[in-house]
Amino acid sequence: MLTCKQVSNSLNKKDYKDLSFVQRILLKFHVRCCLFCGKYNKQVMETQDMCRHFRENEDSIIESADSEISLNEDKKELLKEKIAQSMDC
Amino acid sequence: MSNVEKETPNITPPSKWVDLYGDYLYRFALSRLKNPEIASDCVQDTFLAGIKALDRFDGRLDIKYWLRGIMRNKIVDQIRKSIKTQTVDISKEDEALMESMWYKYSGIATTNPDPWEFNPRKQFDNKEFWVVFKECVETLKNPIKQAFILKMLEDQTTEEVCKVMDISPNYLWVLLHRAREQLKIVLKEKWLTIDS
Repeated sequence: MLTCKQVSNSLNKKDYKDLSFVQRILLKFHVRCCLFCGKYNKQVMETQDMCRHFRENEDSIIESADSEISLNEDKKELLKEKIAQSMDC
Repeated sequence: MSNVEKETPNITPPSKWVDLYGDYLYRFALSRLKNPEIASDCVQDTFLAGIKALDRFDGRLDIKYWLRGIMRNKIVDQIRKSIKTQTVDISKEDEALMESMWYKYSGIATTNPDPWEFNPRKQFDNKEFWVVFKECVETLKNPIKQAFILKMLEDQTTEEVCKVMDISPNYLWVLLHRAREQLKIVLKEKWLTIDS
């Protein structure tokens, strides 16, 4: 059986999806039943779920929604020069 | 013959990188670093590091995502630099939280956190929700924002984040707790007004 502290510690360390199968089952069971840390740690896990899904969706958001944000042309020229220089050496 | 092909994966020449990936990487950097100048420096560092490491590019990923991988490290570097010029102060309230009984004995801040007023899981397939989520992350203040970005979005380990931010694991825990709380509040406000 896991203690509240153990559950919190592993959630602090990593995304619960990265835990081993057995650890994940024990952790989920504890969080579901525990009167002390259940509500809190459930929200910690929800935030982890959210961030994981956000990372998966981030590319498409960055490519479409912000299309007005871009590097200005001067900066681009400067970058091209720097790249050309570093290719030469 | 096949060996030669393996050794030379299909590489976009660096001279075309700025036009093809410049804006993408810049937006990515800006979403993490906020400051346009620092973000464009970050793009530059990424390209230059990419050229140096090009012989290690194995073609498994699209070069765009390979460059983004390099950019992750550059973002962490930039955050480390900005932390060096400002010290991270611990407020009395945060100190009290670290000393609290709940934290010491069970690693939680409270037994009864405010509930979500809508079910965020139901929005996970909704692209609009992620746009709002991104805006909400941007409203967080440093050092809470830096801690959240490093740990949750750039997926660094606790040890790495503590080293970069020069803080204790306990304080990182407080910062992430604050980030979750604030995100819950801003997300609720922003999302419920859009959704209704």
